[in-house]
Amino acid sequence: MLQKKICMLGSFSVGKTSLVRRFVESIFFEVYHTSIGVKVDKKVVQLDNEDVALVLWDIHGEDAYQKIHMSYLRGMSGYLLVIDGTRRQTLEDALALNQRVIQEVGKVPAILVLNKSDLVDKWEIDSARESELAATGWTILRTSAKTGASVEQVFSQLAAATLAE
Amino acid sequence: MADQAHRRAPANQTEENPSANNHAYEELRHLIIAPEQEELADIQERLDDRARRTQDVSSVVAEAISMRRDQHGERALAQALAPTVQETLRESVRRDPHPLADALFPVMGPAIRKSISEALRGMLESFNQALEHSLSPRGIKWRIEALRTGKPYAEIVLMHSLLFRVEQVFLIHRRTGLVLSHVVAREVASQDASMVAGMLSAIQQFVRDSFDSKKEESLDSLNVGELEVWIEEGPDAVLAAVIRGHAPSDYRLTMKEALEEIQQRYSSALENFKGDSAPFLSAEELLTRLLAAQHREPAATKKPRAALATMAILGVLLVAYFGYSIYLMYEWSRFLHAVRGQPGIVVLSYDHEGGRYHIQGFKDPLASDPNTLLAQAGLDPKNAEFDLAPYYSLDDSIVAQRARQLLHPPDGVTLSENHGELRVEGTASPEWISRVQERAPYIAGVASVDTSHLQDSHLLQLNAPKSAVESMILVFPIGRAELEPGQENTVVQTQKQIRDIVAQANRLGEQTSVELTGHSDSTGVEGANMLLSQERADNIRGTLIRAGVQPANLHTRGVGATQPLRPEDTEENRRLNRSVTFRITFTPTSTGN
Repeated sequence: MLQKKICMLGSFSVGKTSLVRRFVESIFFEVYHTSIGVKVDKKVVQLDNEDVALVLWDIHGEDAYQKIHMSYLRGMSGYLLVIDGTRRQTLEDALALNQRVIQEVGKVPAILVLNKSDLVDKWEIDSARESELAATGWTILRTSAKTGASVEQVFSQLAAATLAE
Repeated sequence: MADQAHRRAPANQTEENPSANNHAYEELRHLIIAPEQEELADIQERLDDRARRTQDVSSVVAEAISMRRDQHGERALAQALAPTVQETLRESVRRDPHPLADALFPVMGPAIRKSISEALRGMLESFNQALEHSLSPRGIKWRIEALRTGKPYAEIVLMHSLLFRVEQVFLIHRRTGLVLSHVVAREVASQDASMVAGMLSAIQQFVRDSFDSKKEESLDSLNVGELEVWIEEGPDAVLAAVIRGHAPSDYRLTMKEALEEIQQRYSSALENFKGDSAPFLSAEELLTRLLAAQHREPAATKKPRAALATMAILGVLLVAYFGYSIYLMYEWSRFLHAVRGQPGIVVLSYDHEGGRYHIQGFKDPLASDPNTLLAQAGLDPKNAEFDLAPYYSLDDSIVAQRARQLLHPPDGVTLSENHGELRVEGTASPEWISRVQERAPYIAGVASVDTSHLQDSHLLQLNAPKSAVESMILVFPIGRAELEPGQENTVVQTQKQIRDIVAQANRLGEQTSVELTGHSDSTGVEGANMLLSQERADNIRGTLIRAGVQPANLHTRGVGATQPLRPEDTEENRRLNRSVTFRITFTPTSTGN
């Protein structure tokens, strides 16, 4: 089976772990997040009748106590940059982090995931800002870990993008 | 308080009333009791002033504790102090654990080492006990090894019993942390390899980042309870082995070699890896070999062969043992049979115990030594114990042997025994012959002695003249007692010969008896013939006496025609029957007395 290393990045409590918890295979406890700052999970997606195993490195959100180990990003084929739509700051932090990621590993396929689409009335990111980002080349998808909306699509789309590389 | 008031009152009085009497009284009083009062005040102050009291007690506290300990033993003091000491330690740790840790540090290492070595020794001892009586072929082999190497037996067992199993082997792409190949030992449950591989890589990265180790340094093993994960890192690939138990250190080398081979074989595939693990399918065989390299114990397939070989050897040994035992039993029974047939030995009973034969019975001193018989039979005399009481055997050959031993027969004499009769044959001196006749009847087992075939060696020289005389026939005419004429010379010769024989026999101590037998032919009346024949013999005797032969040596008898010398078929034969013949016998002079 074809395998791809995918990293999941984003600020603290944007819902990365929730995305993972409901939609992927997992064998490790979440305690790894707080101890070594990463938890590895797997998501198998089907593309053109072929299974692709996405090995997901769910990387702990940065906070005052824990920095992202940039070495965890080595060898990834693509990444999800997860943003909490209800907190504008998470977008700014994510974009800043994205710069460091590109510096560290170069340009690889990535998707900007606007999570918590179920709470769209509380969003701090308007569609204007969204279009602005799309214009800079971002693939943007709105998801809801709670309802499951577009979650499968996020993984399939990223898998397709890595295969196209 | 009351004392104080009492003390102060007179002092005030002195100041207020300065009368001479009073003053004197006060002075006197002061002189008498002032020093005492000062002392009392001092004591009072000591009791009241906490600082001074503390100071006083502090100067003796160490001595007091020491004295208390000496008086009542250590226990009472220890019991009193224990709660306080415990609380003190607790408080000290709560405030700052470092001073206590620092203080304990020098003793903790040795204490832990001691405790571990005690535990290990206990374990080894129980191992020893448990295995002391194990007599499996493997146990024996290990025991031999222990003897050979001089190591304690338990250590050898521990060394061999160290079981380990390599349960899983991962080949991981170093840069991406993706699994390239993964093998699992049979009957081992495994988690998703890609996630485990990813997490292992993450942990590797974490360790490297967190401890700021140099690029080339990395985590090479993880311990999780009974499991160990050994990690070997190459430039592009990582090999991780999940091991249960304790693998020998040379397994690390095996891993290194396998990784080097993989690095070399798949160098371009590793470099261009984009997530497709297909090119690494063939690496599975290499990884499987790492699984196979796990067992220290002989593989299960080997066991039956070893067991079969052991069984076969045991079987052969058993058959050989039984065969040899049966052969020995056969040899022994043959031997016992031979012993039983042996003259002079009587076997009453025998038993076989612990590989030794115990034989009871009787043995004549002259019988063959049974140990010699054993050696002749090819049996080990060490395996036999004879308990044979001495006795006199009446067996013919033994009696003959005994007679030989006692009589010392000279050459030319044979002794043989037949049911109690000792037969002596041959020629011997008259002394020996007389000794035989005297002693032989006393020999145990000899009932009678037959010496009829024993000849006196001295008489041998008389044989020739004796037979010459005995072959002589003096003939007479019919019906007459006078010799036929023409025999004068013969008579003279015979007279001479008889005289010589008698004289010679006399010298040899033998008495000669010459018997003259008168014969007649069958013609005529029988009674007349008897008289005639007697007359013929008497006539010859007279002639001999006249010629000088002692009459005592001469005896006559007439037999008539009863003992004819010849059948009377011819005239010549009839003539020979009218005759006198001689018979000479010797008897030793000594036996005669």
